[in-house]
Formats: sequence, C-alpha cells, structure tokens
Amino acid sequence: MASGAQAYLTGLGRYLPGDPVDNDGIAARLGGDDRVTDRIRRRVLADNGIVLRHYALDEHGEPTELNEELAVKAIRAALDDRGIGAEDVRMLAAATTQGDAMIPGFGSMVHGRLGGGPMQVLTAAGVCASSLAALDAAVAKVRLGDHPRAVVVASELPSRILRQRRFDGVDARMDAHFLRWMLSDGAGAAVVEFQPNPARPSLRVDWVRHVSLAHEHDVCMRAGMAGLDPHVGATWQDVPVAEAEAAGMFVIRQDTAVLGELADEGIRQFEELVDTGLIDLRHLDHVVCHYSTHAFRDLAFEGIRRRMPQLDTDRWYSNLATRGNTGSASILIALEEAWHSGRFREGETVLLAVPESARFSFAFAHLTVVGPAGS
Amino acid sequence: MTSTATTTLAERLAEVWARFEERLETVPILARLEEGTVTIEDYRRLLFNLRQQVVDGSPWISRAASSFDIAHFPLRAAAIHHAEEEHRDFLMLERDYVAVGGSLDELRAGRKNIGSEALSGYLFHYADRPNPVGLLGAMFIIEGLGARRAAGWARRFQEVLGLADNQVHFMVYHQEADGAHTGDLEAILTSGMIDDAAADAIVRCAEVVARLYALQLEELDR
Repeated sequence: MASGAQAYLTGLGRYLPGDPVDNDGIAARLGGDDRVTDRIRRRVLADNGIVLRHYALDEHGEPTELNEELAVKAIRAALDDRGIGAEDVRMLAAATTQGDAMIPGFGSMVHGRLGGGPMQVLTAAGVCASSLAALDAAVAKVRLGDHPRAVVVASELPSRILRQRRFDGVDARMDAHFLRWMLSDGAGAAVVEFQPNPARPSLRVDWVRHVSLAHEHDVCMRAGMAGLDPHVGATWQDVPVAEAEAAGMFVIRQDTAVLGELADEGIRQFEELVDTGLIDLRHLDHVVCHYSTHAFRDLAFEGIRRRMPQLDTDRWYSNLATRGNTGSASILIALEEAWHSGRFREGETVLLAVPESARFSFAFAHLTVVGPAGS
Repeated sequence: MTSTATTTLAERLAEVWARFEERLETVPILARLEEGTVTIEDYRRLLFNLRQQVVDGSPWISRAASSFDIAHFPLRAAAIHHAEEEHRDFLMLERDYVAVGGSLDELRAGRKNIGSEALSGYLFHYADRPNPVGLLGAMFIIEGLGARRAAGWARRFQEVLGLADNQVHFMVYHQEADGAHTGDLEAILTSGMIDDAAADAIVRCAEVVARLYALQLEELDR
C-alpha cells in the first residue's frame, strides 16, 4: 500500500504595510470625503466592526508597495520564524485575488522577487478561500514526498482600486461601498514541511477541504463584469477599456443581499464535516474563522456553537477588528497572530474556516499542535 | 568430503551471513532504527554515505567483467548484465535524498567515509585480478543486503519518520532488484563451475566485504 508523509506548518509570518490606519484616517487615503460618502462610510464601518487596518498607500493615497512585495515580506517573516532561507524552499503556492500585473502569474512574480533556487510555483487565483486552496496544494505535494519543504503565501493589495478615482462618474451603490470600506492590504505566509519543526511546536495539517457551490449560486462578489450574469460583451475584455470603466466594471462589488445565505451555507458545510466525522467536536479546541464583517461573526459563532456547546470566546479567534479584512490573506494573518500569542497548547486541534462569497466556496483546514521532531 | 562442494559453499556463506547480521545489530544507526529513535538527519546521513559508494557499484562490476577470460564467459556475461542494470541506481538514491530535504550539490560533492573507501578500494583491487571469481562473495553480501534487509529498513524509516514512498525508492527498489540478482547468483553458485579453490575465494571475499560494509555503516556516526 502506498504511504504518504505528514505535512506540518513549521513557521508562520505576516506582513501588514505601513502604520495601522484608524477609521478617521481612511478618507485621506481612499478619498470619498463628501458628505454622502462620509455617512455611508461611517455606517459600513459601524457594521463591519473594523477599527484598524493597513494600506500600502501613503497619507495622500499613493501606492507605496506592490502586492508581490507584501507577499515576499510575509514569506521572509515565515522563513525567519522557521530559521531557514528561500534557498531551502522547493515549492511556492501563492494565493491572491489580483496580482500587480495581468501576466505573468502572481506566483512567478513572487518567486522572482523572493529568489532562492529552482522551485515549483503555483498561483491560486480566487478570493478569500484561495489561501487554503494554495495550502491544500502545498500540503498534498509534501505528503506525496515530492517536496520536503514548501511555502504558502496569500497576499492582497486591494486599496489601489478602492480609491476615489475608480468611483468618479461611476454608478456605485452599497454593492461597492460595502467592500470599499471593508477591504485592506496585507499578506500571510506559512512554511510547510514533511517533518515538524526540530526545536519548537508545529501545526500538523490533518486535512484541508475546499468545496465550490457555484453550480447552484449566482455570482456574488465580482469585478471586471457588468451585472451578475456572465455573457459575451459584458466583461472588461470584450469592450474598450474606457467603456468598461464607465460601466463601472473596474469597481469591486458584492451582492450583499445573499450574504445571509452564504453564512447559512457555511454552517451547513461545517455540519457536514461534523456529520462525516472529519471534525470530532469532542476534540476540537480552537476555531479560527474568517468573516468579512462583524455582522457575520455572531452568525458563525452561534452556528458552530449549536453543535459545539463548549465553544466560548477563548476558543474562537479572529483579528478582523485590528488587522482588517485582507481577503485571502486574512486566515493566515489570523492564524499567525493566534499561533504566536501562545493560545494553542500541544495536542490541541484548530479548525480554520473560510467562506468565500464570490461564487460560494468554502474552505476548511484541521490542524493539530505537535511537539518538536523527536519529542 | 562427504558433501558436494556447492552445498558446502552454501553452508559456509550462510555462516558468513549470520555473523554479518550479528554485526549489523551493533551498528549504531541500525540500532536506533530498530529502537525507533532514528532521526531524519540519520536517514539523510545514511543516504549521503551510501551514495558515495553506490556510484562505484557498476564501475567495479564492469571492471570485473573485463577481467574474466573466455573460459569464464558465463561470469563475464552475468557481470556485464548486472553492471548495466545497476549503473543508474545512484540516481534513485539522489532523488530520495533531495526528497527528504538534502542538497544535490552537497551530495554530489561528498566524499566516501573510511569504511566506503576501504570497501571500494578492495572491490576495485579485486576486480583487477584475472578471473576474479571470488567477487561472487561480494555479490552475495551486497545483493543479499538489498534483497533481505533494505526494504525492511525502508519500512521502518517510514514508520518512525512518517516518510512517503517517494522518499524511500532506493531501498524499496532493492528488495525486488536484488531479489532477482540473488536468484541469478544462486544459479551460478550451484552450476558446477565453482571448484574448491573458487569456493574458498568466494567465502573469503564475502567475509571481507561483510566486515567492510558494516564498517561503512559504523563510520556514519564518526
């Protein structure tokens, strides 16, 4: 019978550009300081509960870094955390919603900037759950014994397209404002190895599950298309760029009306993992959950607590309020902070949960804290 | 003589094998493997050290092939065939080494340990002699190790260290390949072409190779 190796997260890192920006500092960077926009912003901020976030923009709203630079800084932090260098890495799985350039792939650009040696590169394009898709791929290759060591990074720099110039003369309603005042920049990274960290505890990756329900859900979050229904002539590549811009196709939007459905579906996916035995609620110690706004925090928390009565705030982790919603990077930025805070003990288990609204995808990962190799 | 020469040879080789296995039990890395305290560094070091000698495998067998005259045609043919079959084996070992995080450049820049130096030197020297029939004793030990022990080591490394099949190819492969080789060897040893003097030479060579092979493994930890 074929046997595989295990895969362990042996180093975690993150990079958040610039100083934290509080709610009063947003308009200076993203614009939208007219009275109406200001009122909308305050309302959205009150709902999403985010009080601090980071932008790779200076105080005048000019970009300071590239997305690939955020990714490389997070990777270097993870490699430092593990005490190894880029030359030790044999695979890079990079997730992002939007790289700096359309071509080449984001992973190739990150590798080019990171350096190191020859390595396999994968770009996982998607939205929030693409980070766990990248993790899944790296874990699978490590388990197969194809690579002893991989690095996973998820990096986002949406602030550039959230600035006022994208909104001038464009019909942008709540579908755009909701995200404009919610998303921010950052990157998280993890080192994946076939052996635990020799000196410190590691997180063994027990499994990763990623499912799309796009077959029964319309588009929810989008950019580059007009409306929710994809058809020829209604994407930014079919028409002149100026026309696409005027039609508001370059604004990132979300159909907020279906977000309740997303939360319900996420809970159903969680329940299914419990019912099929992948999650053993008696041995689940921590939940690190990504959600876009605090409005969904209670839905997710209560939904999981229905099956897991012992769930309390000590077992629940999110840093949305202080690190912002960084899309695909969020789950790794949260895991990194939770891990380094020391709240996980050896032998405990951790569930990562990431719902992705774009077209209804859900990703989960189950981790177990293990001691150093040979302990 | 109450028994045929080949039966005696088989018994004598079985005795050499038994002593070899006893010695292997005292080799530190194999003792750690047995106890389950072996580390990933141990496995990497084992591959690193083996590689430096394995790359010499086909060359000494080829050299032996060229030292057999036409009167020893079956042995020459067997040696040529065997050398051809094994001359890419080290590449498999190198892939395993890289798959457990080792550097190919460092592996290829490595040098033999003292035991490997002695083993390789002895085998090349022996292969230079005219009609080096005694080397069948070396085959008996080296192929026997592959056929009888390597896969067990591989499984144990997998168990203790949680390795994937892709990380233990070299040792697993040798169970099948060397199983076939020991079958070929058996056929030669029982073919009637081995006289008493050749039998003595085979047993002596097996004793020396067994000792030097164990030394090669012991030297891993020095």
